[in-house]
Amino acid sequence: MNADLPVIDEAVLDELRASVNGDEAFVLELAAAYLAEGEGHIEQVATALASGDIAAMVRPAHTLKSSSAALGAVRLAELCRAVEHAARDGQVDGLAAAVAQAKAAWMETVAAMTKLGLAGS
Amino acid sequence: MDGNRRSNDEAGTGWFVTSAAVALIADDSAVNRMLLSRHLASIGIDARETADGKSALAALRESSDDVAVVLLDVMMPEMDGYETLAAIKSDETLRHLPVIMISAVDELDSVARCLEMGAVDYLPKPFNPVILAARVRASLADKRLRDLEIAHAAQRDAFLATIERQKSELARFLSPQVAALVSSPEGEQMLAGHRREATAVFCDLRGFTAFSDSAEPEEVLGLLREYHAMMGTHIVEHGGTLEHFAGDGMMVFFNDPVLQADHVERAVRMSVAMREKFAELAGRWSKLGYELGLGIGIATGYATLGRIGFEGRYDYGMVGAAVIVASRLSSAAEANQILVNPRAYAAVEEMVTAEPVGELQLKGFARAIPTMNVVRAHGAESSSPVLSGAGRGEGAP
Repeated sequence: MNADLPVIDEAVLDELRASVNGDEAFVLELAAAYLAEGEGHIEQVATALASGDIAAMVRPAHTLKSSSAALGAVRLAELCRAVEHAARDGQVDGLAAAVAQAKAAWMETVAAMTKLGLAGS
Repeated sequence: MDGNRRSNDEAGTGWFVTSAAVALIADDSAVNRMLLSRHLASIGIDARETADGKSALAALRESSDDVAVVLLDVMMPEMDGYETLAAIKSDETLRHLPVIMISAVDELDSVARCLEMGAVDYLPKPFNPVILAARVRASLADKRLRDLEIAHAAQRDAFLATIERQKSELARFLSPQVAALVSSPEGEQMLAGHRREATAVFCDLRGFTAFSDSAEPEEVLGLLREYHAMMGTHIVEHGGTLEHFAGDGMMVFFNDPVLQADHVERAVRMSVAMREKFAELAGRWSKLGYELGLGIGIATGYATLGRIGFEGRYDYGMVGAAVIVASRLSSAAEANQILVNPRAYAAVEEMVTAEPVGELQLKGFARAIPTMNVVRAHGAESSSPVLSGAGRGEGAP
């Protein structure tokens, strides 16, 4: 349902670069931190769903939403927002599908960032 | 980077940090912490990063003196932004810290709640460096203002402490009445000089010169200390104004600067009380081989009272014939005599037993002065204070 959003909005990345005076080393460092902690967040969301602890999904989804938005991963950010809100409101219906979409978007994001040379080694 | 020492920020707004300012960040996202730190560094502010509310609070309690602002994420593990904010605002040592909430745009209702709880502002995610700089600077200005206020308060406290110390030092050197007068609004006028009826009391020791020639200096000072302490108690108790001590002699006056309707009675009762107490001291000294006696002279009359002396060393003093008469009577008094001039005697006639000692020819006075020696005072216990009005008018036998 959010396939119309790009995986990475490069305009956001450009803004980010401009805001740090084109410090590419910093952007790479930031992307590495994002990918490292994002991995953990998406896993926590999946684990919470599997164990039926819906409330435990809220925080990792929320945090991944905001860091994704910061790095231009707008599709993932939007899907995380949907998961966060559904989990917070206790909307179990469709939650599993939303998490699956978020997981897929996460994979797409990692791939796209690797392609952009932001995934490091 | 040594951002805190920069004299100007990258944007060239002329704003600069004059002292080390630190922002404490509490955000569970490493990405957010890195971005915030980076943006803060570009405006000369060092960041201290924590990943949850609990560690933020611990860091603040460990050291918050240099913290100018706290940036709090709302959703955090361990202790969320609300709890952390509430803890900061209920901690006496931390509640002054400006707290800015970090918030995604879809969380504005939580921001409202935080503002109600005492947060000063919020920072929308994703971070806009310009807004971040503006909001943090506003908080820094608050901190500087607060630091200035604290510094001013400290200065004011030190100033007030100095005044209090001077007042209490003054009270140690001056009589309490004069110390109070100096600090009162009428002080300057009173000090400038005024004329009124007053009673002067002089006393000094018979046999003191011989004693101080033969005794060890420590003994002399020890005895004087004991004597002064005893006399001082009675002066204060009777509301006398001590003009000066001079070795074994002292001058006290009554009815100034505080008006005392019963000033003569006070002078006489004080003298009688001193004589009684002195007898106890003299008894002990006598056992050590020192024969000392107390001679007192009292005179009532009009005098000029006010500041006497020169720049750097002023006394609050009494000048007039009564002062000289009292001094001469004290010299003329034999041990344990309290000699009073006619004007003083007339005022206390009813309440004392006195004997005439004849018309004394005092140095500097053309006419001889009929003088009485006060043997005892009636009505009140001679050693009890007559400060309260209750003691007055009870002189009749």
